[in-house]
Amino acid sequence: MEVRAAGGSAPRRGSARNRELLALIPVALLLTIGFAAVFAQNDSQLGNLSLSYGLYFLAVCLATHIYIRIRLPDADPYLFPLMALLTAIGLVMIYRLDAELARDLARDQANWFVLGLVLFAVVVHVLRDYSVLERYRYTIALTGIGLLLAPRLPFLGEQVNGAYLGIRIGPVGFQPVELAKLCIVVFLASYLREHRELLVVGARRILGVTLPPLKHFGPLLVVWGASMFMLIFIRDLGSSLMFFAAFLALLYVATGRLSFITIGLAMFMAGAWVVYSTVSHVADRVDIWLDPYQDPSGAGYQVLQSMFAQADGGLLGEGFARSMVVIPGSSGDGFLPAAHTDLIYSLIVSELGLYGGAAVICIYLLVAARGFKIAMMANDGFSKLLATGLTTVFAFQAFVIIGGVTRVIPLTGVTLPLVSYGGSSILANFILLALLLLVSDRARREARRGGPAPPAGVWS
Amino acid sequence: MDFEPLSLALKFAFLGVLYLFLLWIARSARKDLKVNSGVAAGPETGFGGGGATRDGWLVVEASDNLDPGSRYDLFGGVTLGRSDDADIAFSDRYASGLHARVYARAGRYYVEDMNSTNGTLLNGAPVLGETEIPDGSTISIGDTSFRFQLDD
Repeated sequence: MEVRAAGGSAPRRGSARNRELLALIPVALLLTIGFAAVFAQNDSQLGNLSLSYGLYFLAVCLATHIYIRIRLPDADPYLFPLMALLTAIGLVMIYRLDAELARDLARDQANWFVLGLVLFAVVVHVLRDYSVLERYRYTIALTGIGLLLAPRLPFLGEQVNGAYLGIRIGPVGFQPVELAKLCIVVFLASYLREHRELLVVGARRILGVTLPPLKHFGPLLVVWGASMFMLIFIRDLGSSLMFFAAFLALLYVATGRLSFITIGLAMFMAGAWVVYSTVSHVADRVDIWLDPYQDPSGAGYQVLQSMFAQADGGLLGEGFARSMVVIPGSSGDGFLPAAHTDLIYSLIVSELGLYGGAAVICIYLLVAARGFKIAMMANDGFSKLLATGLTTVFAFQAFVIIGGVTRVIPLTGVTLPLVSYGGSSILANFILLALLLLVSDRARREARRGGPAPPAGVWS
Repeated sequence: MDFEPLSLALKFAFLGVLYLFLLWIARSARKDLKVNSGVAAGPETGFGGGGATRDGWLVVEASDNLDPGSRYDLFGGVTLGRSDDADIAFSDRYASGLHARVYARAGRYYVEDMNSTNGTLLNGAPVLGETEIPDGSTISIGDTSFRFQLDD
């Protein structure tokens, strides 16, 4: 009887990296199959171009894998393959749209992917000791708020669909909110690490409700309130939901007080109602969500088309490149608007069916599971909170947009992380991956050596 | 030219590979749950304290393929052996597929040999029937040994 060596049951150094390497092969295979299917549908021939695309993709991933092997030998083995898989699905879907939209989006996206991996390498190199982030927490918080404000500046910003999301410097457009979310999470994690004890000990009961002490809660409220204000100011509802979820998750992990979460949710309800009844943009979104048929060819068009496209997919989907995105004869995205960004999940469900959509959700679930595992393995408070915050913000972003296109919550424009077309989203998410793997590498190395390493001076 | 069958085949191939891949990762993740990083909940951990029962751990002391110092959570009981079905699977020439089990009952921890070929030793003495494990004991199976440890 053969005995398998350490088949995933112990955190062995070599085996973690080997499993990562092994996992990248099916990811590249999936990309190849996807491209082959699109070629077969569009050009009625197979050719070997899909194979070369698959090999390019594998080569890029392997280069990153070798870099991880050298710099982060103990990091989590599945996170990078899972994120590469999301990018691969995105690339196939965006490529499939290129022919119909007559644009070169897939090539741009592939370039962003490579650039994202380069940025990943740079972040891993620069932030070898990521606890420096804690020292610059207020600078990082101000940067985050500044990034959120930038789209509203007259010479930088541009307005898309009623939201001020992008900034434009020369030919390069950028969505600063993607980077800002990382800044705010880093700030919250480092602030809560230092003040969590005070928040718990100083809590007082007033009228049967446990309230956090204002003195220590204040700065938190200021930074978080400012970012929420900015989001409403730039009219980005999806992101504000995401920020709020990350804030509550971190507060709960740091203090373990359910009452703080209850208060937070009550505040959210009150705030949401106030915003709903005063800001018309928000009220429109909610009304469309509740009854998209009130204006089926105007305001409700996007969400209705999203629902129709998904219904078309059925259980197993219509097949790659076989669903209708553009109405023949019309110009621009007619049948499924914004199919490459906001509605890309609808396109996936339309072409791969319920099974395909469920698989995508499973990928996000697995990423979240790995992320929270990293948080549990980490030895110091900052690492724990950082991993929790980054994972929450990533997973919740997926929830906000998938929930939006399936009409679980009002549809708001955030990207489906790593799948949607968009350079800033790809770059920000690979920075996020770099931070998570840095935390994971340190935690698992310390676990392997048995017990935490002696703390460096900066962590209390 | 009709490419529909090919398109269909590729779609199913894509979904098939995707699900197999996800299953594989989910399975490894489930196995990982049994291994704990060996960090007790301290004041800095931010996940609250433990309950009233004391958590027990098995710490690897000597093994062919497990890293010395790895800690295994005993929550819910674990089986030891060289089969993949064992919760703590290790390679050892003298170990049986499912060799022994360790479990808690009423706040005490017990080890039981599961009719293995070469037997289990608790602090050097053969385990007969279920035997209580005192804190700090050593459980040996062939060339592999674990130290039993209670949390404070």
